[in-house]
Amino acid sequence: MSLAVDIVKREGRRPTEAFERAKLHASILAACLSVRTPEGQADSVAQAVCDAVSEWLAQRPEVTSQDIRRVASTHLKRYHPEAAYLYEQHRMVI
Amino acid sequence: MDTFGSLAIVALAALIHASFQLSVSVLTLLGGHAIGAKRSQATVLRLTSSFVGGVTVMTILLLSFVALVLSSVYGNHAPEYAWAIVCGLLVGVGVAVWAFYYRREKGTSLWIPRAIASYLSDRTKATKQSAEAFGLGLSSVIGELLFVAAPILISALVLIQLEPLWQLVGIGLYTVISLLSLGTVWSLIGGGHTLSRIQRWRETNKYFLQFAAGSGLIILGFFVYVNEVVAAAVGAS
Repeated sequence: MSLAVDIVKREGRRPTEAFERAKLHASILAACLSVRTPEGQADSVAQAVCDAVSEWLAQRPEVTSQDIRRVASTHLKRYHPEAAYLYEQHRMVI
Repeated sequence: MDTFGSLAIVALAALIHASFQLSVSVLTLLGGHAIGAKRSQATVLRLTSSFVGGVTVMTILLLSFVALVLSSVYGNHAPEYAWAIVCGLLVGVGVAVWAFYYRREKGTSLWIPRAIASYLSDRTKATKQSAEAFGLGLSSVIGELLFVAAPILISALVLIQLEPLWQLVGIGLYTVISLLSLGTVWSLIGGGHTLSRIQRWRETNKYFLQFAAGSGLIILGFFVYVNEVVAAAVGAS
């Protein structure tokens, strides 16, 4: 499923694209699995975070990918702090 | 310098090499991507082992190559100016590590060119085969060449003075010690520890590691300078 929201990619260096819930779900799921969360629980957490982000996006015509990451991270912290830590750190490891 | 003293210098240089973190960062990321992509524990272990294999091979190749070049230029005894230059490099890199090694932001981002960091990060994400992980290991050593060049150079200068058998022992010693931190993280990932704990520890202690690496380089530089340059000058007068 995709919402009619334009996502501005990395400081505008890449073309904008429509929001895709599946992509966000996959990244949250991967973060949860990385901290060895059982698959069912990881999927539930990813669904809950995606719901929260979709709700937040509903009133916004255009956001940046950084915004999505920040909001997703805030919600993920409530459900799974360890996964949220790794999700936040993803681009800061190297 | 006697054989024991030479090997002690090689061991200290290798310990400093072990405190550099690019390979550990790439291994952490590789483990994270592999586990996050629902790969089996055997596959995770195979990928991370191949990565460690790549780092091992490149470390051996680099040290052997530098020692070969130095021995063909200087024979089995380097002149004082060569020692002085490498000692200067050790102190210079030590100060640079103190000042710049980690970026002043959250996480464990290093002061390496961002193009190299992006390349390694993208390759880590795309790695699915053991051969790719092995290649990634080779590349990650090249990526931190800016920092590991100094300990490798001083070790090579020390090694060319030794008997061939002791040179091999020295290369082995350097490789084993320089892989200690990587081996520890590899065994933690293999043992089922969560990556968030490993990364949190690395982030919490990053300034200590930075201080230790910089201090080690400076101490090693002064020690070798006194031992090889000052002692030779005093002995000659």
